[in-house]
Amino acid sequence: MHSLHSSKRSGATDEPAWVRWLLTVAALVFLAFFLLLPLAAVFTEALRKGWDLYWEALKEPEALSAIKLTLIITAIAVPLNLVFGVAASWAIAKFDFKGKSLLITLIDLPFSVSPVVAGLIYVLVFGAQGWLGPWLAEHDIKIIFAVPGMVLATVFVTFPFVARELIPLMEAQGTDEEQAALVLGASGWQTFWKVTLPNIKWGLLYGVILSNARAMGEFGAVSVVSGHIRGLTNTVPLHVEILYNEYNFVAAFACASILALLALVTLAVKTWVEWRSERQMAAEQAVVHDH
Amino acid sequence: MSIEIQSVAKRFGNFVALDNVDLKVETGELLALLGPSGCGKTTLLRIIAGLETPDAGQIRFHGEDATGTHVRERQVGFVFQHYALFRHMTVFENVAFGLRVRPRQTRPPEAEIRRRVHELLELVQLDWLADRYPAQLSGGQRQRIALARALAVEPKVLLLDEPFGALDTKVRKELRRWLKRLHNEVHVTSVFVTHDQEEALEVADRVVVMNKGKIEQVGTPEQVYDTPATPFVYQFLGDVNLFHSRVHGGFAEVGEHAGAEGVVAYVRPHDIELLREPAALTLPATLDHIRAIGPVVRLELRLDNGDPVEAELSREAYADKRYLAGERLHIRPRTAQNFVEDYTI
Amino acid sequence: MRFRQASVLPGFGLAFGYTVFYLGLVVLLPLSALIIKTSSLTFDRFWEVVTAERVMAAYQLTFGASFVAALINLFAGLLVAWVLTRYRFPGKRLVDALVDLPFALPTAVAGIALTTLYAPNGLIGEWLAPLGVQVAFKPLGVVVALTFIGLPFVVRTVQPVLQELEAELEEAAACLGASRWQTFGKVILPTVLPALMTGFTLAFARAIGEYGSVIFIAGNIPLESEIVPLLIIGKLEQYDYAGATAIASVMLLISFGLIFVINLIQWWHGRRHGMRK
Repeated sequence: MHSLHSSKRSGATDEPAWVRWLLTVAALVFLAFFLLLPLAAVFTEALRKGWDLYWEALKEPEALSAIKLTLIITAIAVPLNLVFGVAASWAIAKFDFKGKSLLITLIDLPFSVSPVVAGLIYVLVFGAQGWLGPWLAEHDIKIIFAVPGMVLATVFVTFPFVARELIPLMEAQGTDEEQAALVLGASGWQTFWKVTLPNIKWGLLYGVILSNARAMGEFGAVSVVSGHIRGLTNTVPLHVEILYNEYNFVAAFACASILALLALVTLAVKTWVEWRSERQMAAEQAVVHDH
Repeated sequence: MSIEIQSVAKRFGNFVALDNVDLKVETGELLALLGPSGCGKTTLLRIIAGLETPDAGQIRFHGEDATGTHVRERQVGFVFQHYALFRHMTVFENVAFGLRVRPRQTRPPEAEIRRRVHELLELVQLDWLADRYPAQLSGGQRQRIALARALAVEPKVLLLDEPFGALDTKVRKELRRWLKRLHNEVHVTSVFVTHDQEEALEVADRVVVMNKGKIEQVGTPEQVYDTPATPFVYQFLGDVNLFHSRVHGGFAEVGEHAGAEGVVAYVRPHDIELLREPAALTLPATLDHIRAIGPVVRLELRLDNGDPVEAELSREAYADKRYLAGERLHIRPRTAQNFVEDYTI
Repeated sequence: MRFRQASVLPGFGLAFGYTVFYLGLVVLLPLSALIIKTSSLTFDRFWEVVTAERVMAAYQLTFGASFVAALINLFAGLLVAWVLTRYRFPGKRLVDALVDLPFALPTAVAGIALTTLYAPNGLIGEWLAPLGVQVAFKPLGVVVALTFIGLPFVVRTVQPVLQELEAELEEAAACLGASRWQTFGKVILPTVLPALMTGFTLAFARAIGEYGSVIFIAGNIPLESEIVPLLIIGKLEQYDYAGATAIASVMLLISFGLIFVINLIQWWHGRRHGMRK
């Protein structure tokens, strides 16, 4: 384990030991500089003045309201995309129809759109000068520079996550099990709940984790539609920006450290889910080989 | 170029893949390594190629020690089970690869490379596919291209790992004959690995039967089939009936070891003689089933103690005798080979 | 051919209908607002906005820095993917998980952390300052932030391809006399090239639109270190909706172009080299 050996390869197609060492060290140094150091910097900066100031910064009413708002937005946006992701992958993976690849491309579209552009398009629809602006003003409904706009922007940037995890998974699983359930007399909903859902639960969890992380951390798109009203329309990332621009570094990094912790938890859960599904697949294959 | 393998051993963890193997491959012969999966035949082939290093022992090419020689310098042609064609290269480029990667001093000029590649493609009768990609070929075509590629570097030995393993039965038979013809033309020392006894017996000049990391027998196809050296070889090469002296008495004492305790007689189904009347050294049996498969007729019999026996007749012989299911018969071996009973089996 | 092939499974109408409805409402309708708003501009006005000196400088910086960052990631990503698939070393699982950090870490957090490290008095900036290299508040800072953001794209597209690469291919090359270096250049690299190109394009596309991690480290000096997304926000803050829209539509067009390129790479590769089994 501790010798730097390549796995499952014969000596004939292996590099000399010094090449292996050199490449490994180069890769680890690069990752240390680009990934590990920034992560460590967040925590050291946050605790630079000690734990007391750290807690102080987090107990600020504005920080607390930012945390609350972030949680609310995520709690709305993620379930919306979860339902969409399941519906889209059911239609795409279990059926054959014309224009399928176009539909997949369109679902992936929000990944390629700049978050700032994502925010802008909602301003163009719901903003004071937008399509629906006058009508909304008349009925006293605020979307832009208010929570609904921020939810919409978050929904946009996290749009493809669940669908993108589920489509390949469901395609690989095919429709045999569903057909078997239907033949055995199950209804459509029963088939979905008892057959399809248990098969895709890990992929689903994976997609939810990723969209959750992005929803809580989104900055650009939310920044455009929020209006930056302190204590009202500031999410944690936006609050971090304001604190940082006010040179209140300890508080900025204290709030940032919550988000960094969230990222670490995300990575941990993601690795765990991957490990689980890998093991499950290995176990299934072992069973196949036994027979 | 002859290959000598001297007390070669190899383990993977706790698994003994090769246990002190000695073997000599003669110049120009076509040798088959035959055995069940996990018997070490592929490991031996890979050690000859230099793709694995043995834990102990030596590989000699024409008397010279090649154990430490890197696979690049060994000048072996290796045909992989799944062909391992480079899918981003055309057929032509695949075959030319071995010539193009030579150091500048020994690399032939472009025109020479072209000539050589086309010559080889003609040899495998696929010159018309030169511009295709591997993905556009059938399994049998890929296999022949892989062979042409291996031959391009003018190898001193040609090694083939389950060369027909991934093909369907019909293409397999065709390619077998083709490989035999090709070997007669090129005459390079060749070793191929197979788990299919029919393939080994039909194609090879000599057959090496392996089991559990050891060589059981080396010989011509006739030798290994007609006079198997061990019970394993007997059972691995075709069907066989076993008669134990303890159970079946003097019946098992047809060959050598006669009279010894604990002897097993191995009798091939076509060596079982069927009589309607009892005679010396016969055993009574009941005929259960008759199956006519192609040119032979198989008879399934049962001894009085319940042991099954299989006999094989030609169609003519069967038509002559017209045995019926349920009939009482008496069996007698024409020839048998006796081994002292191995209680571990 | 009919629109949909017959199937015994239920729920296609509901699932497909909801998918299209939701996609239209959340993505397509708002995006079309951008296109319609842009087309309400005269072409001269549009051209004037998108070719203004400050805008051109921003395009130049955004594309230049994105390209350089994607290029760095092309090499670093291949290296990391190679080491992660080929070699064993202690803590490998952890390193593998860490590669996804840029996906999981909010961009604003990455932005302030990188700025702190690379500022002239920061942990890394301190070492670079005597060498006359300033990273933060310069275009170089933009490259650093975009490299951070794009790293997982190349690693995660190349890694599975390296993993699936049959050992037999490399053994075949070795048997034919190829050196390790020739095997890498002539056999391994061409096989992972489509994945590398896809990863490069994904990293590049992401970098062009990136905002959060860049604005802190860039310094945002007009004509020098100002990126395009920041210009859009600037125009919006001045209530210049037409200007913001014009610049955004150019960005959107480029995004579409890049999606097209990725699909093209995959289609081209699948058509020629998809191995029938």
